[in-house]
Amino acid sequence: MRTGLISPSRAWHPLLLLLPTLLVLGVFIVYPLFLAGYRSLFAWDLLTPPSFVGLANYRALAHSGELLRIAGRTLAFSTVVVLFASVLGLALAVLLNREGRLFAFVRGAIFSAYVVSWVAVALLWLWLLDGQGGLVSRLFITAGFAPRDWLGDPDIVLFTLAGVTVWKITGYAMVVFLAGLQDMPRSLLEAAALDGASPAQTFTRIVWPVLRPTAAFVGTTSLIASFQAFDVVRVMTQGGPVRASTIFVYAIYEEVFMNLRVGRASALVVVFFGLLVLLTGLQLWAWRAASRGRVAS
Amino acid sequence: MPLAAASAAGCSVPRRAPGEVALWFSYGGNNRKVLLELVARFHREQTRVKVLPTFQGDYFEGLIKLRTGLFVGRAPTLTHVVGEVVPYLAAAGVLEPIDAVGDEVLNDLEPALSQTGTFEGAANEPLVCLPFNRSTPIAYMNRPLFDTLGLAPPATWEELRAVAKRASDEGAAGKKRWGFECPVDWWFWSALVAQAGGAIITPAGEVELGGEAGVEALTLWRDMVKVERTMKPPPGRDYNAWEATNSDFLAGRAAMIWTSTAFLRYLEDNAPFAVLAAPLPAHRMKGVPTGGTFFVMPRGLGQDERQAGLTFLRWMMQPEQANEWATKTGYLPVSRRGRRDLERAGFFEKHPNFRVAIDQLAHARRWPWHRELFRIQREIVQPRLEAAVLGDAAPATVLAEARELKAG
Repeated sequence: MRTGLISPSRAWHPLLLLLPTLLVLGVFIVYPLFLAGYRSLFAWDLLTPPSFVGLANYRALAHSGELLRIAGRTLAFSTVVVLFASVLGLALAVLLNREGRLFAFVRGAIFSAYVVSWVAVALLWLWLLDGQGGLVSRLFITAGFAPRDWLGDPDIVLFTLAGVTVWKITGYAMVVFLAGLQDMPRSLLEAAALDGASPAQTFTRIVWPVLRPTAAFVGTTSLIASFQAFDVVRVMTQGGPVRASTIFVYAIYEEVFMNLRVGRASALVVVFFGLLVLLTGLQLWAWRAASRGRVAS
Repeated sequence: MPLAAASAAGCSVPRRAPGEVALWFSYGGNNRKVLLELVARFHREQTRVKVLPTFQGDYFEGLIKLRTGLFVGRAPTLTHVVGEVVPYLAAAGVLEPIDAVGDEVLNDLEPALSQTGTFEGAANEPLVCLPFNRSTPIAYMNRPLFDTLGLAPPATWEELRAVAKRASDEGAAGKKRWGFECPVDWWFWSALVAQAGGAIITPAGEVELGGEAGVEALTLWRDMVKVERTMKPPPGRDYNAWEATNSDFLAGRAAMIWTSTAFLRYLEDNAPFAVLAAPLPAHRMKGVPTGGTFFVMPRGLGQDERQAGLTFLRWMMQPEQANEWATKTGYLPVSRRGRRDLERAGFFEKHPNFRVAIDQLAHARRWPWHRELFRIQREIVQPRLEAAVLGDAAPATVLAEARELKAG
């Protein structure tokens, strides 16, 4: 067998093939990131010349406690979104993994939320969550609960926005889990049934181990989607009330566009990037550790 | 050196076709329609200058785009910005002096609404802005509801509390109607501070945030929202909250609101009930801030474009146009001759709601314009107002914190 078929005829050929991707990544990801790091050392409003301030932008964010508050809110928002979108997506996938028009319709209906634009979803939920006349509030009152100001109460607004985000992206998680389920060999399930396994045993011993990589994928993509949340905040709360829904991307937008502080926004970008790298690293580490554990057993 | 700074930041304005004026504006809804009608009439009356109006979102979005436009050398010929931002832009050296608009226009401007005497510590600051859509906050009431309940517009804070309580309707399942609604916003808070006898910024430039009056103002809101539960703080921030306030009033979910006089015509035309406008109540005294925007011209325009821009400005400032704008929107008439024309024609007798903001001008407080004004507003004060009214922070604590931050 000629190995030359898969060997490059020139050593630099692979680099040539990589070049377009490297260029795109370099121009649109790496360079802006370095630029943000550089700009974070300046005070600049785009109108007057930048003045070098060293780490003052980072100090200002840390000293005011704002950085920790933003990171805390973002992590709380992401935790709710990742957890609920993944669990609900999995539950719906297991429930709806059946033949028939009705199930196909329900699957389509749930997934449809994912393809609607964020702005439309946010506007729709603005009406539904209206404290006085919204459908959610009415249902809540009819069920005998005290009325809540879903978007005006600083204690619950972040979770309200997380709920809307879960509603929007759960359809996506469901479809990915469905693909995982439909890839599962039927023989495994039939063997389990013949052995007299209960539905719970079938799920924990067969379905879940097969779906674990899918779950890792859903978890990662939901995490990314939740960290990128912006439109839902911009349309529904503008970061309020009392900054209770000011999460990372909105905080960056607010600093650069509303407060005209390019340096401070850049400092937030750098910290945000660091946080994402840390979380992705942790996730990869956990995934690999779990994979090694499975191989060893 | 501000101009050099502006140039260094790339502040050059592109050349346009001869006679073309790029106008960036932030008026939505009815006010946008009125502006476009005025531009269309300008084109019918002359052919030398062509105005190209472009909507750029609300005031803050418009400012973002102006700043970006200045940075990349794509600024418009004319735009309009809120008063608090003018000193910041002027200090950055990006505004063209526009006194060449001529004495006929300048001498006719309502002094309480124009640039005169606004710049802190700089009486001879060049003229860089012209007032056009200027406003004060006023109270709007659902007239038939007030008649039914036997209520009159509140003239004091005590009456405001009593009227808000009386006009609230709890309903069987949650709040059916709020007695009072007002955005928890710097502009309305500054009205309360003035009424309580305080100053947010002293004429000498000291940031007092009202002192005790600031605390008193916040406590009034806090009590009405949390204790008496008669005031609805609308959801959202900035103009989203203002729009929510208007919507609640039009839908009958709020009996009385405070908002800008800019929405007078819009609310009158769209409410399914008669609208009653009234001045804001007094506490120790009467007092309101002025608001709205000023026309500005970015620095660096070519001579022809500058002249074309000035031609349009001159036309817009004429009594006829200024009056058309004021009477079709609710903004204050900026032309003194125009206002006299309206009085002679009996406009205010036929439309007494339009008189309210004009009468309030006698009690208007002007901002001492200094460069940090909009930062104090947006970064230091605004978030803390919400913390005191909607959160658990004590009004005195948040204002002390804000003063410390400013001092630091």
